[in-house]
Amino acid sequence: MTTLLELRDATIRFGGLVAVNKVCFEIHPGQLFGLIGPNGAGKTTCFNLITGVYRPTSGEIFFDGKGIGGTSPSVIAEKGIARTFQNIRLFKSLSVLENVVVGGCLRRPTGLFSALAYLPKAIQITDALRDEALRYLKIVHLDHVANVRSADLSYGMQRRLEIARAMATQPKLLLLDEPAAGMNPQEKGELNAMVRRIRDDHGMTVLLIEHDMRFVMTLCERIVVLDHGEEIAQGPPAEIREDPKVIAAYLGEAH
Amino acid sequence: MSLAIHRNWTQFAWVRLLSVGGVLLVLSQLDGLLAGQNDFVKRLIILAGLYVVLAVSLNLINGITGQFSMGHAAFYMVGAYTAGYLASTQFTRLNLPLTLWMPLVMVAGAIAAAIAGLIVGLPSLRLRGDYLAIVTLGFGEILRIVANNSTELGKAFGLNVSPNFRSIGLTWGLAILCVACCRNLLKTSRGLQFLAVREDEIASAAMGVPVTRTKVLAFVVGSAFAGAAGAVLAHFEGFVSTAMFSMDVSFILVTMVVLGGTGSITGSVIAAVLLFYIPEAMRELPDTPMARILGAPIAIVALLRREQERFHGPARQKWARNLGIVLGCVVLAIALGAVLANLPGMNTMVQGSKLRMVVFAITLIALMLLRPQGILAHHELSWDWVQRLRGKPAPTHEVSA
Amino acid sequence: MPLAAVELSTLPQQLANGILLGSIYALIALGYTMVYGVLKLINFAHGEVFMLGAYAALFASWGLGFTPNNTLTATSPVNLLIMLLASMALCAVVGVIIERFAYRPIRNQPRISSLITAIGVSLLLQYGGQLFLPTSPAPNIDGKVNPYRNAVELKFREAPLALREEAKGLESQVQKAQAEWDARLAAGESRFAPSSEGRIVRDALNAAKTELNQKQTEIARQSAVVVLPVGQLIMLGATVVLMGLLTYLVMFTRPGRAMRAVSHDFDSAALMGVNVNSIVTFTFLIGSALAGAGAMMNATFLSGTKIDTFFGMLPGVKAFVAAVLGGIGNIPGAVLGGVLMGVAEALVVWVGIGQYRDAVAFVVLIAVLLLRPGGLLGSSKVEKV
Repeated sequence: MTTLLELRDATIRFGGLVAVNKVCFEIHPGQLFGLIGPNGAGKTTCFNLITGVYRPTSGEIFFDGKGIGGTSPSVIAEKGIARTFQNIRLFKSLSVLENVVVGGCLRRPTGLFSALAYLPKAIQITDALRDEALRYLKIVHLDHVANVRSADLSYGMQRRLEIARAMATQPKLLLLDEPAAGMNPQEKGELNAMVRRIRDDHGMTVLLIEHDMRFVMTLCERIVVLDHGEEIAQGPPAEIREDPKVIAAYLGEAH
Repeated sequence: MSLAIHRNWTQFAWVRLLSVGGVLLVLSQLDGLLAGQNDFVKRLIILAGLYVVLAVSLNLINGITGQFSMGHAAFYMVGAYTAGYLASTQFTRLNLPLTLWMPLVMVAGAIAAAIAGLIVGLPSLRLRGDYLAIVTLGFGEILRIVANNSTELGKAFGLNVSPNFRSIGLTWGLAILCVACCRNLLKTSRGLQFLAVREDEIASAAMGVPVTRTKVLAFVVGSAFAGAAGAVLAHFEGFVSTAMFSMDVSFILVTMVVLGGTGSITGSVIAAVLLFYIPEAMRELPDTPMARILGAPIAIVALLRREQERFHGPARQKWARNLGIVLGCVVLAIALGAVLANLPGMNTMVQGSKLRMVVFAITLIALMLLRPQGILAHHELSWDWVQRLRGKPAPTHEVSA
Repeated sequence: MPLAAVELSTLPQQLANGILLGSIYALIALGYTMVYGVLKLINFAHGEVFMLGAYAALFASWGLGFTPNNTLTATSPVNLLIMLLASMALCAVVGVIIERFAYRPIRNQPRISSLITAIGVSLLLQYGGQLFLPTSPAPNIDGKVNPYRNAVELKFREAPLALREEAKGLESQVQKAQAEWDARLAAGESRFAPSSEGRIVRDALNAAKTELNQKQTEIARQSAVVVLPVGQLIMLGATVVLMGLLTYLVMFTRPGRAMRAVSHDFDSAALMGVNVNSIVTFTFLIGSALAGAGAMMNATFLSGTKIDTFFGMLPGVKAFVAAVLGGIGNIPGAVLGGVLMGVAEALVVWVGIGQYRDAVAFVVLIAVLLLRPGGLLGSSKVEKV
């Protein structure tokens, strides 16, 4: 089986603190992969390593067979990895629709001169992106608020918007950072179905960080568990659930 | 909302061509139509047009792309000096007709300023906010001082520029071109990338927006327009000197952008005209007793402090309230003036000419206290906005799932 | 550009000048950096507060009797102290008023709005001052109010004895020739159309003077002397004392701790019970008072400084650059930046391109920021993603 994303001994050090220590895992195309662990385990730091926000101190990261450690974030996006953020980072003054269009710009760029002169080409691309954005908004059930200022949305809707925006970049791998945070059980159920649809209908592989155990167990096909920057367990949900190290990490057993 | 779902009518090529044609027609006739006005009025109109170009081009850098550039006068100067230098060395040699010379020299000024913009924009890649502000200011001052000491550029006396060319049509043509370009940009997806960089650089990068290139391009385009304006200025005034491009000019330009509402193109236009015109209109202030001068700031300070309380209420009431406050200020100022007149020494007359900038400064402070987000805030004066004001419900309140 | 005229011997003098100038910049920069630290606001009006401080010192000196064309001959250090306190007090009051009425109402608005208001206040003080304050001709503080007008001379290297002996000999020659010429003038000789004998005497005098001049230049070139006006040394000392007091205040007192808390995180400090309004007022008070001190010293000790309402603009900008240079918000940084700025300016003058002295501030700034985007001592805060 081909590997889409591989972390090989990925490590990052901040001064004296080793935030991520020799973490290894592989994600195959089409997988729904989960990254869990108690607070401060280094999960978002892993995301930041993969997406180029940080450069690994040592170790390697491979995407589609090529090393991407230390590549800048916009190049990573162009290669096909998109993400959402733990603390929502929407373009606040822009509308819902406009947020998603920004994502779409990656695959359909407009030349600066065409834009300044409002040439037909620029108009065409903008219209196409608008339609495409609406389609993505439909997937996350936000098409009815397309013209609303994104800062005015409720928390759950903002999270869904971030997903739509990331999808608009047409990634091969979608990284979701705590997509279910702040959602009620019904919303979580819908999100579960939504993520499945993203994988099934759009062929995107999904790697997600989540705290809600039930959500992760029912959605992910394979899970890696981090604690204090190190990988303590990896495998299908059934194994992880029973793993004593995982239980200890979360419930804090006396050593 | 630049990309609202409903389409805009400039989509259609014929609409665009017609409007361009119409504008060109009007512009070409403008000088003839306004020929009867005296020189002072014509001067005001041309300078206002130049300030519009400067404010809108600065808005592209500061308001739309969110970079804090405080040295815009430098690009104006580069364009003006380029035009001046070319005019003093090449014009007589090439002997081109003015209709060919002006566009040529404007392009030259634009290119020179764009190069300066590129140089200034590069540090913006590493610097944030206030640091970038001071660096852009610094570049401007360095350029100014270098020009002041350069013999080829006439040192402190500057250069004489001939031919003298004054055209309202050309100036406002440039202004309209600048506004049109910015508006066009914001109606396309490319413009959204600029806005995204302003909103959140990290998220933009994660979505594949070329953040660095976008920031630099904003500087380049913004400075190019300022440079073209500089070329027009050089030929309008007939000379260029560094005194025309001091830090004060940069500050006034930033003020225009903020006052109009950072990011709002139409706001910048309105603020540019207003802020340019107010000091001009006050050139003829009468001599006023000292008492009245003191009365005004006291009144403003006393009443405007009320703004500290948040006012929750429909927009219409807020406008009425603000109006009431302003009127109250005026009344209180006059009353205070009358009262203070009884104090010794308060009746000494102050020359009107000295009052000009003082009133301007007070107006500025009062405006910022009353409406800190700027006249138009982040809106544009457009049909959409007018429709919304007239009562079509604005979709800006919280929507829950 | 006469770079060939660079004289190594004048370097120590210029460095000393630079440090003295830099201490003034440092005092102003401290005000900028402190206000930025707590409010994240660039107080554009700070340069004008500086200007008002100079006027306060001027008026204080007039109050003490040193009005223009006065005939006083005696002065005392107490006069200086009075002027200093007057400047600091006025600036403190002005600073607090500005904060209260112009900045506080829009504290919750985007920072750029406060910036524009600051520009407005700056313009108001500059042009409003034109209405009420004496500006033409631009007055200056009478040098006589300064009891420390003598100077300390530090001789690092003395010119060879032989040269100095020659100079002494030439000096007496000039004296004799001068006496002869004066006698002739007194006896009716015409100064500009002398007789042929008179011309010989006059030419001999001029020749002797020229030779003496050349010898003295040679001596200067071969010696390294630093002239330090005592007044400016006092100024430097006072600056150091003030900075020491400030450091003590910020590091070891309760209000100082509160200031640091507010500059770290405004809202959290408020939640922890810090009265942020008082702290902000206090910050403006201290920062403005320091600027006032700098203004008084600038106007008094750098004798002949002309004061008008635009007097604060350029030092204000340079001090702001200094604050950014050291890392805006960082107090030691402001001091470092100020001194660096002063020295850089002096070096530019020394190298012989003095006409670029105002540009050098920005060149240094850009150079430093390109290498350290957060300023010399500033922390480049990494944004948490």
